[in-house]
Amino acid sequence: MEALFQNIINALQWGSFYALIALGYTLVYGVLLLINFAHGDIFMVGAYIAFGVSVFVLGTQGLGLPNWAILACGVPLTMILTAGVGVTLERIAYRPLRRKGAHRLYVVITALMCGLILENGNLALLGASRKKFPELMEKAVWTFGNVSVTNLKVIVIVAAFATFAFLNFIVTRTRIGMAMRAVSYDKFAIPLMGIPVDSVIVFTFVLGSGFAGLAGMLFAMSYPILEPYMGALIGWKAFIAAVVGGIGDIRGAFVGGFLLGFIEILVVAFFPSTFRDLIAFSILLLILWIKPTGLFGVARHQKI
Amino acid sequence: MSKLLEIKDLKVKYGNIEALHGISLYVDKGEIVTLIGANGAGKSTTLMSISRLPPPEAPKVVEGDILYNGESLLEWNPDKIVADLHLALVPEGRRIFGNLSVEENLRLATYARKDTARDVERDYKRVYSLFPRLHERRKQQSESLSGGEQQMLAVGRALMSSCNFIMLDEPSMGLAPLLMYDMFRALKELNREGMTILLIEQNANLALKFADRGYVIDTGEIVAQGISEQLMDDPEVKKAYLGG
Repeated sequence: MEALFQNIINALQWGSFYALIALGYTLVYGVLLLINFAHGDIFMVGAYIAFGVSVFVLGTQGLGLPNWAILACGVPLTMILTAGVGVTLERIAYRPLRRKGAHRLYVVITALMCGLILENGNLALLGASRKKFPELMEKAVWTFGNVSVTNLKVIVIVAAFATFAFLNFIVTRTRIGMAMRAVSYDKFAIPLMGIPVDSVIVFTFVLGSGFAGLAGMLFAMSYPILEPYMGALIGWKAFIAAVVGGIGDIRGAFVGGFLLGFIEILVVAFFPSTFRDLIAFSILLLILWIKPTGLFGVARHQKI
Repeated sequence: MSKLLEIKDLKVKYGNIEALHGISLYVDKGEIVTLIGANGAGKSTTLMSISRLPPPEAPKVVEGDILYNGESLLEWNPDKIVADLHLALVPEGRRIFGNLSVEENLRLATYARKDTARDVERDYKRVYSLFPRLHERRKQQSESLSGGEQQMLAVGRALMSSCNFIMLDEPSMGLAPLLMYDMFRALKELNREGMTILLIEQNANLALKFADRGYVIDTGEIVAQGISEQLMDDPEVKKAYLGG
């Protein structure tokens, strides 16, 4: 019983990371119908930005602020700077192709290349040595019987739920959220509403990348070793989670992320850990086999 | 005194294919002007050029000019045409956002408005009183509306952008006769309140009865123009567009 609870908490934590990243995939897909394969690497860049901000700007080699202040300023600063990276990618890579009316396939390939450029650019710039993320928060462990929770795990889980609630509010209740949904349906008619399409797209990248930055910072605090390829596998997994949930729907990304977290942790609870990804992805494959549009996805149809 | 909207020797291209070969027309404030012609004559192309919609769906202007209150629109962005000039287009095929509810479609069109919440509220009331069906279905996903209701929504949406000049691309398309007369009655009412209207129609009879003036466009050129009664009596126009 206690093992079960412990597993659930771990699954929630991993699910939170997947969900935070999957939300970024699904936002951009929901608006542009573009699978932004660079998103996993934006998460990686987010972790590095968090590192730079915490050490060289606010921390020991910068302003020398106390830990609580580093956290308080570091989180928004990391999110803003990472959002800047996402917006820059959109501006220099995706927008020119969109202007020329390039087929979506080319934009997706461009996204893949952008991801590789971010990875290898990081490698070239900072070298292959791993970075050790500073400990910004005194670890507190709360135990209930034999189940233990760290304060950091709780923060990660709360952050994921809060992010989902925030994004869900934006997308379903605000005018800019309506504009995002409308762009995905018919980009052509958007300017006829007096709305500049580009600003809606930029806003989408700000949201997606900003929360990838948050995920990067939380991940670096939880697993404080940074390396340039850290975003690749987790990015793929989050992408698959978003697809299984029904890409384009933020509930789907959220549920898909947690689903993947739970499957992985439960597989490891019963099988050798080398089986984890094999069984996890087989289950996801089965879900797509039964419901190809994902859990929350609906097939598009248009009235003529 | 300059015209409200004036098109001068406009030539536009889709890729390498020229779609308008130098057309000129004008619309004065408060007028109803119609542009009639067969399929592929360049009617929609003209409206999309005025709205400055970007290629590839819309054409590229290669020569001539589009003036609004004497100022060239060629460097304008399409969203600014709606937001700042209050010149709206109800495009061909309606292009409503089917994944949004009726209400959300209308609300989205208020995105760039800078006037007060009371003005917006008044416009909702006006749209719902012109098209009571939209009010009945305001919570409904707009994809599930009938073709006629979608057309009403498309017009309602343009009104919610607080336009004072509305361009309509075949608003009668797919409408049952009764709904069509409703639609034109609504447009006439708007015009009485000061709305300038530029209307595209394939149904030339209907359009000329409704409009003050008309232009006949054929394969990218204006072939006839004048006040509606004149055009209706023009033997050429009669033969080609009014069924003898």
